[in-house]
Amino acid sequence: MRNYHSVLILKPDLDEDQVDQSVEKITSIINKFGGSILKLDKWGKKRLAYRIKKNKFGYYLNVYHTCEQGRVLDLEKGYQLYEQIIKYLVIRLEERDIVRVMDKDKESAAESAKDSAAEENRSEETVAAGEPDKS
Amino acid sequence: MKNQRKKRTLFTQKICRFCSEKIEHIDFFDIKLLKPLISERGKIVPSRISGNCARHQRQMTEAIKRARNIALLPFSVEH
Repeated sequence: MRNYHSVLILKPDLDEDQVDQSVEKITSIINKFGGSILKLDKWGKKRLAYRIKKNKFGYYLNVYHTCEQGRVLDLEKGYQLYEQIIKYLVIRLEERDIVRVMDKDKESAAESAKDSAAEENRSEETVAAGEPDKS
Repeated sequence: MKNQRKKRTLFTQKICRFCSEKIEHIDFFDIKLLKPLISERGKIVPSRISGNCARHQRQMTEAIKRARNIALLPFSVEH
């Protein structure tokens, strides 16, 4: 089992429901090849630096996931066959890279937890300490 | 000649910007970091001009190439 980082560009003319649908579909594609999603970000609609399949804009998805060894080519094929994806990029991550990503995530979660705790009350520090563990 | 002089003034200090900011790993989706290191035409600025150290220049070129692949940065800018 290895860790991977995929950036997917979806068609720009999707509304929120359709985006959620395609996220589900992508999840099922990844699960099909023995992987699971570690982290999923929606970067939202962005202007592309160049036209892709006649689109000037694209909806970016940023996915950290695992995949069974040797089945990444099949996964990429799955991306290609899904018509909502106009472009994709899959990168293999080393163990330290995924640790770094998750640490960064934890830090930001801890920070936000700290902020919210500071806003609420200083006495509720146990909540702030408990939250980063969940993520 | 004129252009060259212009560029020289853009990167006056010859210090690796990644070393000075203590950036260990350059993410290819960090466009704010990479944008100053491509020229007007979308070319990668050589380390001779930007002053980056060899290690970070290697990381940076890879990051820029990945960003180009996923349309975050242009391959070329047409005039």
